[in-house]
Amino acid sequence: MACSGLCLLLFLCSHAAGNATLFISTSLFQSYADQLHSHPLIVSVFSKGLFLVFAIHIVTGVLLFLQNRKARPRNYKVRTRAIKNSQASGSMIYSGLLICLFVLIHTAAVSFGDHGRIGVTIAEMFGSFLLSMFYILAFIALAVHLSHGFWSMLQTFGISHPNYTTFIHRLSYVVPLFFLLLFGTIPLLFLFGTGN
Amino acid sequence: MELNSHVPEGPLAEKWDKHRFSAKLVNPANRRKHKVIVVGTGLAGASASATLAEQGYEVSTFCIQDSPRRAHSIAAQGGINAAKNYQNDGDSIWRLFYDTIKGGDFRSREANVYRLAQVSNNIIDQCVAQGVPFAREYGGTLANRSFGGAQVSRTFYARGQTGQQLLLGAYSALSRQIKAKKVTMHTRQEMMELVLVDGKARGIITRDIISGKLESHSADAVILATGGYGNAYFLSTNAMASNVTAAWRAHKMGAGFANPCFVQIHPTCIPVHGDYQSKLTLMSESLRNDGRVWVPKKPGDTRNPASIPEEDRDYYLENKYPSFGNLVPRDVASRNAKEQCDAGKGVGSTHLAVYLDFAEAIRRDGEATILKKYGNLFQMYEKITDSNPLHEPMMIYPAVHYTMGGLWVDYNLMTTIPGLFSIGECNFSDHGANRLGASALMQGLADGYFIVGTSIANYLGSTALETVNNNQAEFSQSEHNVQERLQKLLRSSEGGPEGKFTVDEIHKELGLLLWDHCGMARNKEGLEKALLELPAIQDKFWNHLYIPGTGEELNQSLERAGRLADFLEFAEIMIHDALDREESCGCHLREESQTEENEAKRNDAQYSYVSVWEHQGEGEQPKLHKEMLTFADVTPSQRSYK
Amino acid sequence: MTNSIDINLEIWRQKDSRAAGEFEVYTLQDISTDMSFLEMLDVLNEKLTREGKEPVAFDHDCREGICGMCGAVVNGIAHGPEPETTLCQLHMRHFKSGDTIVIEPFRSRAFPIVKDLITDRSALDRIIQAGGFVSINTGGTPDANAIPIPSATAELSMDAAACIGCGACVASCPNGAAMLFTGAKISQLCLLPQGQKERKERALSMISTMDSEGFGNCTNERECEAVCPKGISISNIARMNREFVKASLF
Repeated sequence: MACSGLCLLLFLCSHAAGNATLFISTSLFQSYADQLHSHPLIVSVFSKGLFLVFAIHIVTGVLLFLQNRKARPRNYKVRTRAIKNSQASGSMIYSGLLICLFVLIHTAAVSFGDHGRIGVTIAEMFGSFLLSMFYILAFIALAVHLSHGFWSMLQTFGISHPNYTTFIHRLSYVVPLFFLLLFGTIPLLFLFGTGN
Repeated sequence: MELNSHVPEGPLAEKWDKHRFSAKLVNPANRRKHKVIVVGTGLAGASASATLAEQGYEVSTFCIQDSPRRAHSIAAQGGINAAKNYQNDGDSIWRLFYDTIKGGDFRSREANVYRLAQVSNNIIDQCVAQGVPFAREYGGTLANRSFGGAQVSRTFYARGQTGQQLLLGAYSALSRQIKAKKVTMHTRQEMMELVLVDGKARGIITRDIISGKLESHSADAVILATGGYGNAYFLSTNAMASNVTAAWRAHKMGAGFANPCFVQIHPTCIPVHGDYQSKLTLMSESLRNDGRVWVPKKPGDTRNPASIPEEDRDYYLENKYPSFGNLVPRDVASRNAKEQCDAGKGVGSTHLAVYLDFAEAIRRDGEATILKKYGNLFQMYEKITDSNPLHEPMMIYPAVHYTMGGLWVDYNLMTTIPGLFSIGECNFSDHGANRLGASALMQGLADGYFIVGTSIANYLGSTALETVNNNQAEFSQSEHNVQERLQKLLRSSEGGPEGKFTVDEIHKELGLLLWDHCGMARNKEGLEKALLELPAIQDKFWNHLYIPGTGEELNQSLERAGRLADFLEFAEIMIHDALDREESCGCHLREESQTEENEAKRNDAQYSYVSVWEHQGEGEQPKLHKEMLTFADVTPSQRSYK
Repeated sequence: MTNSIDINLEIWRQKDSRAAGEFEVYTLQDISTDMSFLEMLDVLNEKLTREGKEPVAFDHDCREGICGMCGAVVNGIAHGPEPETTLCQLHMRHFKSGDTIVIEPFRSRAFPIVKDLITDRSALDRIIQAGGFVSINTGGTPDANAIPIPSATAELSMDAAACIGCGACVASCPNGAAMLFTGAKISQLCLLPQGQKERKERALSMISTMDSEGFGNCTNERECEAVCPKGISISNIARMNREFVKASLF
């Protein structure tokens, strides 16, 4: 989970960098997309690789979920969590599945759409209130997913040292918030008409 | 019964070497043909099992808990003594030997105690090599502290969890041998009977606690490492399952029981607070370094301690023992607390407690300093009692803690039954009439790691043993006897609980009888009264006991009943022993034998012996044998704390 | 202050490992708030015995929080609501009169129920048998001070070694994982010089035994750390993960 998660996190970074061009103008974003698609080999290798990583992350996640459910054949009558803020860690499978649904819709609309007028597609899409809200909801799910996932990945890799505990703890808030703000403002910008 | 201690000839310091040289050996290739049973997995049992398996014997080990790591050695807090002299403060093997034999009030065997001091150093080496995380100095060497009033720093410790860490070390060594299939581990099995073939210990009968099935296990030698009998008193600092059954079964098969009246009562325990109480919790003795012990001067004074002015307080230890004050030895502190409570000056809801007050120490040193020293103890106290010792005085009362008495063993740790060995708290060997702090862990590991292996080789190498198997007549007969005893226990339960008593009700009655008459202070009249009252409790047990359920299932009431049955019989020799010893020594205070200042008075001329009791058959008076103690290298002296 | 409370209990009763099991409801009156939780169960059992009913079977031994034998899930939390407290050290003053207390056994595929609140935790012993030791025979060890260990390292190792093996970590983990237990033992030994020689084999062997015993996987839920009566930190799990990666790759 941690390895595929790391790959996805890296992809998220590059995706975020690309999207950031939207803050400047739709046309800049269009030229970024055009640039990207002028290298079909790169796009194909990356998109297929990405699909594979997604598939690994989802399949191992679901398998893990099912496997772990079997570790307790009968559950407790009273289910209280001893730690506070367990919502993120307890709902990884659900936030993950919501993100998965989002990715399917997003790729259907954008990746398999007409790359030549992607800027326009985006602008049209975010004109729809419902779709924008769905996007924002998905980004919140992503943030929640990351708020546990990021720290969890470090823990799984064994990256933990008392000197850095506070730093890592802060990062596990900063990283998801960063992505939430970056991705979340895009539909808002279009929705409220400031996107151009 | 013949008592031959088999102490080797020669100078004290050379006895152990000489003995190891003259002891018989078993060829390494032949060891796997010998099977040894070890009962109990505390420090002694686990270390013996691991060591014998490493040496090549086939070992079968038994414990009543779900895992060998649960044994009550785990609860020891303070530390373990060794004569390493790492602090360069004048310690030596000889000094550790002398302190131990003097601390035991000259009622132990010189040669055994000297050997204990000798191997103490190897224990520390062994435990460190296993990865026991002892406390360290900043330079990386081992840290030591002074403990229990010792004048040298020879106690090694791992926070307040030394027993736990040492036991986990022995448990890990045992686990390694279980994995290597050299030890067969039987958990949740209770030893019910010792089996003799031709007068030699050749096996045991156990009861599977989960299924209730009886099992026969045969071997060439049996080692009992089943701990002490403090739970005879019902309330003690022992674990709930600690019991005398294995030792008592062995006693009834012919093993002598030595000094059963030697029971250490620890002065600083959290007092009893209600009749529902199931056990007592020990607080470290170190609290008396700064705490002042007092009671109200006027009996029945129920005022809040804060509103009792200085002039109405009796700091009885400081007044009575000006030079030692609150730091008098365990037995003296315990006895004086009892005296105050008997005089009606006890405090708390039960009036069975005295104050241990830190107010002055806090005024003198400040809260921070006191918390630094005792913070964790204060926390533990508050968790249990919901009262903060920073704001109100602690309440303490003595509690049964350790039993120095046990199965009689010779220098080889072999009982009077050939092939039956007893190690750790289960035997009587090293602590005389009083055990010093941090010595119990030392003895358990000395016996298990370094002594019993030599004894087993010597026994197996010098004894002709015929082959036995666990379905021959002796085993089936023993199994049959155990079955009958279980049926007898359940007999009175038919027809429901009306008008009957539960196991705990009867156990509490026995406990109270022993505590009142065979506890901190004993006298002829009280002991004789106890002997007279005991049969009524025994009768109640055998004829009016109610145990729910059957013997063919997990039945915790039945388990406790079986143990109580043995405590009820055992109590008899305990009282007889206390009656016989008309002197005061160590933990044993006979009120008739006191100095003019009410201090314990030993009588070396008449009582310098180990009392060894022999079972004479059901309903018969036990027979007393004496192993005379001779002191060639030390001169017994009288203790004084004024 | 000493008070008395009345409480309702819902306790899991199961005759043996094969039986189905169900909750039974009991009420207790006049329970002193100074009682420990297990003493409250003793009182219940005495009452049941006098009524001719079968007492509730539960594991317990030292009753001072160190042997690791006791343990049950109280109102959904292993060892009950107080932090760093074993069930035997939990006191009734933390409950109110009229409370309903639900008591369930530790539940995990790796801990089959034996009877009522008693479970079989021998899988933890088998993890230790797989390598939770230093392979050294009795005798022939060097002088204890021949292996100097920095005080801080010894303390860190001791933090991990404080584990009492009660299994609350497994019971509380949503996945029934034994990572905290295993991580603590691996940490204790890999921090010390004594544990270096078998470092890799130990990590691999203990982890593979842990997996084969039916424990779940760690998804870093941190429940184990929150209920651990000895406050063992999940940094020990991170350390075990490092050990595993190192042992697998190098």
